[in-house]
Amino acid sequence: MNAIPLVLYAAAAIVYAVHFAKRQPAVGRMATTLLLLAALSHTFVIGMQTMEVRHVPFASRSHAISTFVWLLALSYLYLELTTDERAMGVFILPIAVGLQMIPAFSPGVENADPVLDSPWFWVHLLSLMFSYATFALAGMLGLTYMLQFKEIKKKHLGYFYARLPSLHVLDAMNSRAVVIGWLFLTIGVVVGVVWTAQARALAPGNSNLQAMGLNDPKILMAIVTWMVYSFEVFARSTMGWTGRRAAWLSALGFAIVLLNFLPVSYFVQTSHTFQ
Amino acid sequence: MHLLLLGVSHKTAPVDVRERLDFSSRDLGAAVEALATRPSAAESVVLSTCNRSEVYVASENPETARDEIIEFLSHYHSLPRESFSPHLFSLGDDAAAKHLFRVAAGLDSLVVGEPQILGQVKDAFETAAGRRCTGPMLSKLFHWSFGVGKRVRSETALGEGAVSISFAAVTLARKIFGRLAGRRVLVIGAGEISSLTAEHLRAQGVGEIVITSRTAAHAEALAASVGGRAARWDDLALLLTTADIVVTATGSQRPILTRAHIEATTGSRHRADPLFIIDLAVPRDVEAAVSDIEQVFLYNVDDLQSIVHENLTRRSREIAHAETIVAEELLKFATWQRSRGAVPTVVALRQRFDAIRRAELQRLDGKLAGLSPDARARVDEVTRLIVEKLLLEPTEQLKALPDEETQVAYTEAVNRLFRLRTGESTSSSTDAAADPSADRRK
Repeated sequence: MNAIPLVLYAAAAIVYAVHFAKRQPAVGRMATTLLLLAALSHTFVIGMQTMEVRHVPFASRSHAISTFVWLLALSYLYLELTTDERAMGVFILPIAVGLQMIPAFSPGVENADPVLDSPWFWVHLLSLMFSYATFALAGMLGLTYMLQFKEIKKKHLGYFYARLPSLHVLDAMNSRAVVIGWLFLTIGVVVGVVWTAQARALAPGNSNLQAMGLNDPKILMAIVTWMVYSFEVFARSTMGWTGRRAAWLSALGFAIVLLNFLPVSYFVQTSHTFQ
Repeated sequence: MHLLLLGVSHKTAPVDVRERLDFSSRDLGAAVEALATRPSAAESVVLSTCNRSEVYVASENPETARDEIIEFLSHYHSLPRESFSPHLFSLGDDAAAKHLFRVAAGLDSLVVGEPQILGQVKDAFETAAGRRCTGPMLSKLFHWSFGVGKRVRSETALGEGAVSISFAAVTLARKIFGRLAGRRVLVIGAGEISSLTAEHLRAQGVGEIVITSRTAAHAEALAASVGGRAARWDDLALLLTTADIVVTATGSQRPILTRAHIEATTGSRHRADPLFIIDLAVPRDVEAAVSDIEQVFLYNVDDLQSIVHENLTRRSREIAHAETIVAEELLKFATWQRSRGAVPTVVALRQRFDAIRRAELQRLDGKLAGLSPDARARVDEVTRLIVEKLLLEPTEQLKALPDEETQVAYTEAVNRLFRLRTGESTSSSTDAAADPSADRRK
């Protein structure tokens, strides 16, 4: 079922690329329309799955990735519609297409441990997913900031100079994305810790819950991510780390998020495997 | 109806002639009205910018119209004919249409692709249309030219990239700061180039322009002309701490801003925003090492010049593409124009056929009297449809003839075969009437 959004995301990605190259307004509108359709069909798919398993489908990796892509698409659409800047689409959509291939080609079986059946758990997961989606946006904004910065600084005003928004706009959007992402990351982590303590008491026999701690790679990476973004938020407000430095940190933070999302969750056995 | 264009442009006339034939400083509407009273100019539009003064006329009688326009120009500007007529260019029909399309596309401009001209063409047309001086011909022509201008702008890169140093600097500032509203500009040295750049920045809505110069009077004069504030030269270091954009253009032989200067001020900058320094002076005012500071973007005259040069090269590469668009549109326009040539014949042909149909129905009135009103209506309808279907193909063919000569021959033949009177060539016979505006300006 995840194939329909995948096809639409891929079509939108192609049209965003054409728009980036040719800069024709009509093509840009078509790209946005395709992305809206993709997000809409994706909402429908996730809605169906939710009704089927009676909770937002998160427990299998591929469902979690699908939900992440969905949140990424919605966050990007929000950014585009509020700033009227379409140039970022060409950087964001490939991430959506690449990740959406996983649920489309290897659909997971949603078989959640009953211990997860708590509202706290869903707050924990939704907050983290949403923060990762905004970090993906911030990471790409950072990357494009560096491209634009390099062309202006080196006086080689070329391909990206003409197409990307101004440094100020990229920096401002990056700042907003990082602050929102950091807030949700903090909420997600705090709720996770509180809920784990509660659930341990309720289900003393659950080995996963007992094993949770800083020595778990998934948790450790999440804490590292939180530290990186906390530093970015702090450095921007007090040390004047805006512009290129903030851009670097955003790109670095998103690299860690991706690392946590794919290799760690696929190849490392962690206490976060609830299958 | 023929198109006629008479005018001067930067390609045909020196600036003093263009100045004397300029309409834009005077009331353009009154000029078009005065022109429209000439009997041969059935429709007229006057386009006047600093690089051209052009008169577009639709007339049945282009030869007379040409004389009358020259007479009008001489009269209106109080100039003897000989003083400007050698510089006039005159184009008819397709050539005139092509010229207007090229003008609207920015292909005929001094700086190819400059954006203002399309707006000026629109204004010229609207002024004339507002005074009821235009008709179907010029209306179609001008609206077509707006379309050509729009197509060239959206389908080619002819108008892209700044082509003057000061505008290149402003474009860069926008790529660094986004909207320039609220940004603080510091101008060091009050020469002509810095005043031009300051004016461009002012037009972009910057927050404050502070001007400082070794000679306080120069700073004050420039501050007054661009709406800024003059500041003391001794406060330079302080002024640097609050500026977002610095424009320098002093005559100093040695750099006035060194890396140490800027580092001292960026350290105390209360915001960590970038600093954009535009060094327009030769020799340079700003030490090259300043650009090693992370948040500083430093551009000198050569850097800006090379941007301008690159943009001009890019524009010239787009000219061929734009000319293709003009040629395509001209072909379509010419086809439309020719199809109009057949209109009187087509109308007359339809009237003739319909008259015959009515006459026959009249003649058969007695025989048809026994029919019910419903059946009568159906007979009427059927005969009408037959006539229409018979005429459909010849009408289409007549409108689609490939060139004017063939069209004239065919319409002649049709007129002759059906003994049509198309009423052509009657409208210009009133030309003999006295020109009421002739001595208005004596």
